Amino acid sequence: MDLFLQYVANGVVTGSTYVLVAVGLTLIFGILGVVNFAHGEFYMIGGYVGIVAITMLKLPVLAAIAVVLLAAALVGLVAEAILHKPLKSRDATNSIISSFGLAVALQNAALLVMGPQPQRLNLDVSKIPVLSSLPTDFGPVFLPQQRTLIPLTMVILIGVLYAVLKYTWTGRSLRAMAQHATVARLCGVRVQSVAVVTFMVGSALAGIAGMLMSSIFFVYPVVGNMIALKAFTVVILGGMGNVAGAAVAGLLLGITESLTSAYVANSMRDVVGFVFVILVLLFRPQGLFGKAAERS
Amino acid sequence: MTLLSRRHILAAIGAGVAAPSLVRAQSSETLKIGGMLPFSGPASIEGRQIVQGLQFAVAEWNEKGGVLGRKIELVLEDDESNSTKGVTAVRRLIEREKVPFIIGTYASAVAIAASKVAAEYKVPMLSGGSTGAGATDQNTAGDPWFFRSWPDSNAQGDDTAKAIVNKFKKTKVAIIHDNTNYGVTLAEQVTRVVTGVGGQIVSKDGYNAGEQDFSSMLTRLRGLKPDAVYIGGWAGDGANILRQAAEIGLKAQFVGSGSMLSDDFIKLAGSASEGFAVATMFEASTPNPIGKAFAERWRKSHDFDANTFSALGYDSTNIAIEALRRAGKPDGLEVQKMLKDGMKDFPLVQGPAGTTAAFNEKGGVIFPNFIAVIKDGKRRLDV
Repeated sequence: MDLFLQYVANGVVTGSTYVLVAVGLTLIFGILGVVNFAHGEFYMIGGYVGIVAITMLKLPVLAAIAVVLLAAALVGLVAEAILHKPLKSRDATNSIISSFGLAVALQNAALLVMGPQPQRLNLDVSKIPVLSSLPTDFGPVFLPQQRTLIPLTMVILIGVLYAVLKYTWTGRSLRAMAQHATVARLCGVRVQSVAVVTFMVGSALAGIAGMLMSSIFFVYPVVGNMIALKAFTVVILGGMGNVAGAAVAGLLLGITESLTSAYVANSMRDVVGFVFVILVLLFRPQGLFGKAAERS
Repeated sequence: MTLLSRRHILAAIGAGVAAPSLVRAQSSETLKIGGMLPFSGPASIEGRQIVQGLQFAVAEWNEKGGVLGRKIELVLEDDESNSTKGVTAVRRLIEREKVPFIIGTYASAVAIAASKVAAEYKVPMLSGGSTGAGATDQNTAGDPWFFRSWPDSNAQGDDTAKAIVNKFKKTKVAIIHDNTNYGVTLAEQVTRVVTGVGGQIVSKDGYNAGEQDFSSMLTRLRGLKPDAVYIGGWAGDGANILRQAAEIGLKAQFVGSGSMLSDDFIKLAGSASEGFAVATMFEASTPNPIGKAFAERWRKSHDFDANTFSALGYDSTNIAIEALRRAGKPDGLEVQKMLKDGMKDFPLVQGPAGTTAAFNEKGGVIFPNFIAVIKDGKRRLDV
């Protein structure tokens, strides 16, 4: 039982990253209808910017997080200008192919600038005010502070996002766009600025996830491939465009993977998620938490 | 990855070799030799270290005036650890650059596919790090076209597995391996050898190369209390496993496959690498006097010590150029004949003192591996 809790905790940590990456992805899909295959690269860039900010520029953690948010949001801005703005009136396939291209371009840019060797962010938790005072043992569960930081950040950021979506004008226009772009436009929603904001938020969330994960794992140019696949899994499980669904599905996927590698076989862990996806697509295409909508 | 990246990287790597030879190229045409290694993709760390050994050997020969009165030019291709790319690269080196031999490559599956093609063209290949037994086993006995101047993965795995039980006196062994041909073969072998010498395998776990999170698997292993943990896979994954094992407090004698020999591996794993053991064919502190002299020459032109990767890249290139010199003409068939029988007196920098390029009928050279242990951030042979 003690070990079971530890496995769940491990799953929550990786699941939290899936949530951060997938929520951005599902926003971009839900609001703009762009299937963004370059989303994993936003994660990768976040990791590298974090390393540059902390290891090379020696910035304190909070400043580094701000730098990562800014840099990732900037990448989102550029991505919108490439993937959405010029292509929005065309068939969705255009932006899919285009996002593939962007992913490859960003991977190769990272390869040229940062080199192929994996790198790691040396995050000195003892220097982070609140975090360093956190315990590392929660009953039978052991979580180093770097790991605790990830679900913590996830909860805060997703909480903020949720509040923004729910209570602010920007949030309302985002949701209006998601429901019906034309009607939203008729009601005075500035479609273009909504698109930009969506991309920036999505990219910033993925960037933060990348930065946090690079303190326990490694970053390398193609690290985004797997994470993007996982995020797509989460998005499909949670229902395309469903933020709350993505949050729950992300945690579920993390925990399922962790338990699979603990009790079944480690080599099966990546398989499980994709089997789920195929089953969901076959039997519940609206996602585990999505509502089936009749097309008129 | 894209053509763009490959060209940039190759240009950057090639520049070091090309620059001095460009100046002299005016006097007489250079003699081109081929090098094929992964400069991008999953084994790029290894590829970029090995290529320095090739470049060092070429630079030394050129300092002495080249071979057959011509300067040597090393033409490099990136195979990305991908068999299709490897086969294309070999064709390009042979058809366009007319190289008499090719040094390459690191991934055994690529080496197997590529050397079959090279053999059709009657161009011998000398391993650029591939240690898989399959690459030399596919050779026709007595007429090898793929040469490896060090023991195959079976011997390496044998020496490592025996060391777990005999040197470290650990009997309960857990195995973690990636699901590539490399990792799976090693895992099977370690199982066979460890049980053969009286040890016991308590668990066996596979993972997908490039996987990031091992915490749950390692937590489960911790409960099994193994004396030793064997890791068979690529260096980045190995370093990741060591770190996460240290984090959750899994204490055991960690032993790894040959890919985890590099200094980058120690840097990535940090303090978690202390006590980690790995079989090696060469260290800068080698007791082999030829190897020692090589390490000293290397240190003069590099700001880091030579390692197994530099040594094997150097040996393969050095042997091939010497065979070319002895053969007297840049012809693949002649070089292969010379490699087969004519190099038994040529000393290697790898292996214990007295090791020579005595290729057996399958194209391999057999000598015992050293077992190095990491102490204070350095691999040492005396621990």
